[in-house]
Amino acid sequence: MLGRLAGEIPRFFTLQKLALLLEAMGTTLAMTIIGCVFGFLLAFTIVFLRQTPGRLALPIRLVAILYVEIFRRIPFLVVTYLVLFFIQIFVSDASLFAIAVIAICIYSTAYTAEIIRGGFESVARQQIEAAAAMNFSRWQTLMSVIIPQSWPVILPPAVAFAVGFIKDTALVSQVGVFELTFRGKELNNEGFSGILVFGTIALLYFAMSYPLSRWGRWLEQRLASSPSKRPQQRLRPAHGP
Amino acid sequence: MNYTFQFGVAFAQLPELLKGAVVTFELGLLTFWGGALIGLLGASLKTFGGPILRRVAHAYVIFFTNTPALIQIYFLLYGLGDIGILWDGFTCTLIGLTLNAGAYLTEIMRAGFISVRRTEMEAAETLGMSVWQQIRFVIVPHIAKTIYPALANFFVVILVMGTSIGAVVGVDELTGQAINISTENYRWIEMFVVVAGIYVVLTLIASLSLALVGRWAFRVKAKVF
Repeated sequence: MLGRLAGEIPRFFTLQKLALLLEAMGTTLAMTIIGCVFGFLLAFTIVFLRQTPGRLALPIRLVAILYVEIFRRIPFLVVTYLVLFFIQIFVSDASLFAIAVIAICIYSTAYTAEIIRGGFESVARQQIEAAAAMNFSRWQTLMSVIIPQSWPVILPPAVAFAVGFIKDTALVSQVGVFELTFRGKELNNEGFSGILVFGTIALLYFAMSYPLSRWGRWLEQRLASSPSKRPQQRLRPAHGP
Repeated sequence: MNYTFQFGVAFAQLPELLKGAVVTFELGLLTFWGGALIGLLGASLKTFGGPILRRVAHAYVIFFTNTPALIQIYFLLYGLGDIGILWDGFTCTLIGLTLNAGAYLTEIMRAGFISVRRTEMEAAETLGMSVWQQIRFVIVPHIAKTIYPALANFFVVILVMGTSIGAVVGVDELTGQAINISTENYRWIEMFVVVAGIYVVLTLIASLSLALVGRWAFRVKAKVF
């Protein structure tokens, strides 16, 4: 076994194959980032719609709630297949990358909507009442009262979700997107040993996921401490009264 | 668009799909309890172990939470096949998912372990409790109440995200059954819409019953929605 591995390693780690794997990593990262950024924007819309006041807006609220509750309870693989076959009704030669991005977007919208809602609800009610007293519109309240106070609460878990989703995108290899897992399966089918191939693929995923998750944690700690407590920003020593 | 939906075909397969749902549920339960045992061990090592054991547990958690569960399963299926360990898809999925869940559950349980405060133990000692009584009446109830919501949430995550990965390596759970049937009758959209519905019902049942158990056993006010 070790002999076989030693024989395969020079053939496996050629520049050509490494370039292929790096490109696949790029695809994995690109579809995660595009999908999650669009998902984040859509989630904002969903939460905004969910908080529309009034009896007439009840159907809108209901749709927003149902969207989140349903898509959080369906496996990503099922969502991917649904998007794949549904889009193929309309566009028979749709790009698989676009299909993967749409599936990621649909899924991340549902999850980040819950994160954003949690962030919005962390803003004290008096703040919103004060904004209403000053005759702010809903949009003004959102933009100048709610978002400035809630983004430190929203951003860290949203980043953590996106970073965690890098790993879950491995499932779109099932529909044939040329991403990291798909390339791994391809190399394994070419006859390279599974230990070598999937060991390498696992390490490449680790190389993407670990630094980003560390960065996410750093972001969380930095945002959690209020600006006045950050050591580098304390320019003057505090004086007593 | 010239596609006519035929949901009747999909509903006719409901018995087959429900068979898959049972496998999903079994896989979810086995994975969760296996992962919980590993998590208990991992959290104990991380909290009470020596410097070496602590590093081992930490490395395990870091590695398994930063690589995809699918790759872990592929490694077991195709990698170990090369050295003569030939497990079928179900075994590989079960072992892979259990190891993966164990890493996440280690972190959840460790958060519970470190939430027990020194003063609580001192209070229990002052009341003259034996070590066993301290564990039974102070530590376990406290930890259970702290981590129950996270555990319940994680079970639903395994039930949805986790077990469906098995479909990729040929396990006949809910998603796998849908793929099997669809490749025969080409009613992919209808099948997957019905399957999505079953997943929603399945997880709602799980969430609701876990919330009820939590309220009854640990006085946790868990939110279903």
